[in-house]
Amino acid sequence: MIGKVLIANRGEIAVRIIRACREMGIETVAVYSEADRDALHTQLADEAVCIGPAPSSESYLNMQNIISATVISGADAIHPGFGFLSENSRFAELCEQCNITFIGPKSQVIQSLGNKSEARNTMINAGVPVIPGSKDPIYDAEEGAKIADEIGYPVIVKAALGGGGKGMRVAQTPEEFVNSFNTAQKEAQMAFGDNTMYIEHFVQHPRHIEFQILADEHGNVIHLGERDCSIQRNHQKMIEESPSIALTPELREKMGEAAVKAAKAAHYTNAGTIEFLLEKNNNFYFMEMNTRIQVEHPVTEWVTGIDLIKEQIRIADGRPLSYKQEDVHITGHAIECRINAENPAKNFRPSPGTITDMYLPGGKGVRIDAAIYSGYTVPPYYDSMLAKLIVHAKNRNEAIRKMRSALGEVIIEGIDTNVDYQYEILNHPDFISGNIDIEFIENLG
Amino acid sequence: MNLKDMFKKTSGRSHYISLRNSRPEVPTGLLRKCNKCGAAIIAEDVKKGYYICPKCHGYFRVHAYRRIEMIADEGSFEEWNKEMDFVNPLDFKGYEEKIRQLKERTNLNEAVVTGKVLINGNPAVVGVCDGRFMMSSMGWIVGEKIARAVERATEEKLPVIIFTCSGGARMQEGIVSLMQMAKTSAALKKHSDAGQLHVSVLTDPTTGGVTASFAMLGDIILAEPKALVGFAGPRVIEQTIGQKLPKGFQRSEFLLDHGFVDRIVEREELKDVLSQILEMHHPADAAAVKAALKKGEKDSDRDAERQENPEAVASEISDDIAKEQSEAVHNGQAENALSAWERVQISRKKDRPVGTDYIDALFTDFMEFHGDRYFKDDHAIVGGIAYFHGIPVTVIAQAKGKTTKENLDRNFSMPSPDGYRKALRLMKQAEKFGRPVICFVDTPGAFCGLEAEERGQGEAIARNLFELSGLKVPVLSVVIGEGGSGGALAMAVADEVWMLENAIYSVLSPEGFASILWKDSKRASEAAEVMKLTAGDLKRLGIIEQVIAEPDEFSDATMGTVCEELDGRIAAFLQEYTGYSEEELTKNRYDRFRRM
Repeated sequence: MIGKVLIANRGEIAVRIIRACREMGIETVAVYSEADRDALHTQLADEAVCIGPAPSSESYLNMQNIISATVISGADAIHPGFGFLSENSRFAELCEQCNITFIGPKSQVIQSLGNKSEARNTMINAGVPVIPGSKDPIYDAEEGAKIADEIGYPVIVKAALGGGGKGMRVAQTPEEFVNSFNTAQKEAQMAFGDNTMYIEHFVQHPRHIEFQILADEHGNVIHLGERDCSIQRNHQKMIEESPSIALTPELREKMGEAAVKAAKAAHYTNAGTIEFLLEKNNNFYFMEMNTRIQVEHPVTEWVTGIDLIKEQIRIADGRPLSYKQEDVHITGHAIECRINAENPAKNFRPSPGTITDMYLPGGKGVRIDAAIYSGYTVPPYYDSMLAKLIVHAKNRNEAIRKMRSALGEVIIEGIDTNVDYQYEILNHPDFISGNIDIEFIENLG
Repeated sequence: MNLKDMFKKTSGRSHYISLRNSRPEVPTGLLRKCNKCGAAIIAEDVKKGYYICPKCHGYFRVHAYRRIEMIADEGSFEEWNKEMDFVNPLDFKGYEEKIRQLKERTNLNEAVVTGKVLINGNPAVVGVCDGRFMMSSMGWIVGEKIARAVERATEEKLPVIIFTCSGGARMQEGIVSLMQMAKTSAALKKHSDAGQLHVSVLTDPTTGGVTASFAMLGDIILAEPKALVGFAGPRVIEQTIGQKLPKGFQRSEFLLDHGFVDRIVEREELKDVLSQILEMHHPADAAAVKAALKKGEKDSDRDAERQENPEAVASEISDDIAKEQSEAVHNGQAENALSAWERVQISRKKDRPVGTDYIDALFTDFMEFHGDRYFKDDHAIVGGIAYFHGIPVTVIAQAKGKTTKENLDRNFSMPSPDGYRKALRLMKQAEKFGRPVICFVDTPGAFCGLEAEERGQGEAIARNLFELSGLKVPVLSVVIGEGGSGGALAMAVADEVWMLENAIYSVLSPEGFASILWKDSKRASEAAEVMKLTAGDLKRLGIIEQVIAEPDEFSDATMGTVCEELDGRIAAFLQEYTGYSEEELTKNRYDRFRRM
C-alpha cells in the first residue's frame, strides 16, 4: 500500500515530491547523507533517516541502506526522483523483491530500455523512426557507398571503437563519401588500431524534442505534449519550454502518436519521456526513453495543468489514469531555467559554498522549485542545480518577457550562479525568434 | 537561518486511501551482513562477485563446488570418489553421528572434493577443501581422496591443483590422521618425480597438518589475499610465547615476504592465472620449438621495411657502426676506443636499461614467482616464467631499480642468500619441466652484511655453482651491466655467457681491487685497466662467448637495437642448445669451465 513514501533523493526534486505527498495526505520519509543534515528536504519531511557519509556512492546510491531505511521507517513506497537510483533496474528489482512499491516502471522495463541496442530494436519493430544506420560493420568505401545511398545523405561515418570525435567524418553528398570514409577509416586505424566502421544518417542541426508520457497498469497510455530542450551545454539541459515553436499541430500529433506507440511497445508504466531528434525537414528520430520523472517536468505541468508527481503515485498505486488523451489540452507557454551553482566565466566550474543572502521572485505565472534558503551551505558532493525558475504566460513572447523579469529579480549571494548567463540567452535574438538547435550554446562560443 | 523543527509536519496518520494492500518485507537471505566490515550487502551481489564483499573487498570462504564453478569450464567437472564409506579408526564416540549430521547439513560427503576439470580448455586434476565440513580437517577420507586423485593424475599425466583450507589434523582419527600427511606427501612425490606439475592454492585458513604436507609442496604456490596460513595457529603461538603477534602475521602477504608463496592472486583473475600456468607447462613438442625459433631468426621482412621506412634503415646503420666499434675494441685496433675505466662508469650509469627492461622487451606473458621457500623473497632478483617466441622459458634477472625508492627496495641489485636460493629454486623448477634458463646479470656484488652472513651468503653462492654445473637444461647468462664477482658468477655457470659491449665482469670492483692490492681505492681507474674486465678483454680470455654492440647513448629509449640483436641471438642459442641431450649439455658445460 502507499501510506508513507520514502524519497530516495535530495535537493529540489525531493522537496517537490514531499510537497505532492503532503497534498495527497501521504506521510514522507527523507533520506540524507551526513553532508545533508541541514538540507531542506531533510527538514521538510515528516521523518528523516541518515543513510551514510557524504559521497553519493555511500549514501544516495547505497541500495541496501535505502531499503533498510524504508523497512525501519515503515514506509511502503519509494520515490526515486531523478538521477541517483532512479533508472537503476537492480534497485527497482530489489524493491519488487522486498514488496516495496517503486514509484516508476517495472525493473524489467528499465533494464530493456537502458540497453541501447535492445531499445532501438524494440522501436524499429514498433514502427517508431530511429536514425537509419548500417546494421553490419563496414570495411571498405565501395560497400559503404551503397549503404549510404540506402540510408540517405548526409551520412556520418563512425569508427566502431570511436570516441572523442576521432575516426568520424560527415559526407554531405555521394561525391564526398569515398574521401570521408577513407579519411575516417585511416584515422580509426591510427587511433584505435581497428578499421571497423559504421555509417548512419547524419542528423543536421536537430532540436531536442521530448514527449511526456503517462501510462497506467491498465494499458492506458497518453502523452502530455512536448518539451523543447535544445538549449543545452555538454548534453546538460539549461532551458526547457513547452510547447515547441517548431511543432505544428499535425507534427505534434504525429510525434505524440509515435511516443505513445514507443511506450506501448516497451510495456511502459508510470511517467516517462521519449526523446527525439527533430530535423529541420520535420523528420524525427527516437533517441532514448527516460524511465523517470524529468527535471523539466514543471513546464508540462503548467501547460497541461496535470500534477505529474501525484499522477506517478496514483499510477504506482494501481489506479487508472485520471485523464484521457482528449482531456489533455496545451494552454499558453511555459519556460524553465535551471539555476546552478556554477561560474560560467570559469568554464562553468561548480561553486559550492554558503548562501549569505537571497531573494527569489514570485507573482502571477512564476514558479520556483528550489532547495535553498538563506544561510544554506551548498555541499560540493552533488549536482550543482540549486533551483528551477518556471514561468507561464499566454504565448512564447510573453513567457520570455516574464522569464527575463523574473531572472532579473533573482538574488543569490555568497556563491556564483549562472543567472546572468541565462538572462543573456533570454535576450539573444535567435532564442527570441525561436531559431534554436542543440548546438545553440556551443555556437555562442 | 536554522530550520530545525520550523516546518509543520503532516498531522496524524496518512489519510490517503491506497488501493494496494501489501507491506514491505525483506525476504530472508536477500541482505547479509559482511562479517569483516559489518556493512549490509546484497547476497546476490556477493554470489555474482566471487564471494567478495563489495564494500570492503574482504574474501568470504567459498564452498568447494562454488570454487570449482569459478575456475572450471562450464560442465567440465568430473567428480572422483564422491561416495566414500565412513571410517572410525579409533572407534571414537559420537564421531559417526557428528559426520552424519554434517553430511546432511552441508550436502557434502567429506571435507574435500576431487576430480578432473578443464580450465580454459586445459585439463587438470583438482582437489578442493570445504571448510564447512569439520573445518576441513584431514582424516583418512580426506587423505585418501587426495592420494587417489594425485595417483590418478600421475597415471594420466595430468597436473594437480589443490585448493587448501583446513584446521589441520582430525582429532577424532588420532594417529591415523597424522599419517595422512605422509600419505599425501608421498603421492605428490611420485607425481613430481613423474615430471608433473602441482599448483597449490592457499585459501583462508590453511593450518596444521595440511600446511605441513600438501599445501606447501606445490611447484607453484599461489595464495588468496589475506588468507591465514601457518602451521601452529596464532592463538596457540600467542599463548605459548606469551607475546602479542604482529599485525598481518601468518597472512598470505606475510608468507609472500617470507618466501613461501609465489604469488598472491585475486579471486577474479584466478581462473586466468591458473590456465596460463597450465598452458606454460604443456609438454613441449620439440618440432614446434624448432619451428618457433626458426621464425624468430628470419629477417626477410626487413628489406621491404627498408624501402618504406628510412628511419629503420638509419638505426640499422648505426647498429652496424656499433658492431664495427666493438669488433675494433676486441682486436685492440680502435684509436678512439673507450678506456676500461670509462666502460666501468658506463656500466654503472643510472639510465642504463635494467634487468626488468630486458624481461619486458624480449619475453611475453612474464609471470613473476617469488620466494626461496626458506626465509624471504629477495627483491634484488626477479624471476619467473615467460614465453620466448612462444616457447616457455625461465627468466631470472638481477634487478637494479630505476629510482632511489626502487633501488632501496631492490637493495641496489645486491642479492642476499635468499635471492640466490630463489634463483636456484626457479632453475631446478625449469629443469623439472625441461625449460631453458636465461639469466641477466647486473650486480655490484652479493650483498655484504650481517644478515647475509647469518643466512650463509657463501653457502648460497657455492650451492648455485654446484647445482648449475649439472643442470639438465640449456642455460644462458647475459651480463648487461656490472658482473660483480661471486655474486655474478652464481648466476653465470652457463652454457654460454654473453656481455653487452660496455658491461664489465670481474673478480672484484676496481675500487676493491685497488684497495686490496695498493691500499688505495682512489686508484680504481688504474685498477680497471689492469684487471681485464671489459667485454673485449674477456672475449679474448675465453671467459665469454659473445659481445653485443651498444648504441652510443644506451638507455631505455635506444635499447631497441640491442634487444633486436639479443632476440636473434637468443633464438639461435636456443635452437642449438635445445638440440643437445642432457648428457651433452652437462658435459659441455663441465668442459667449458674445466678449460678455465
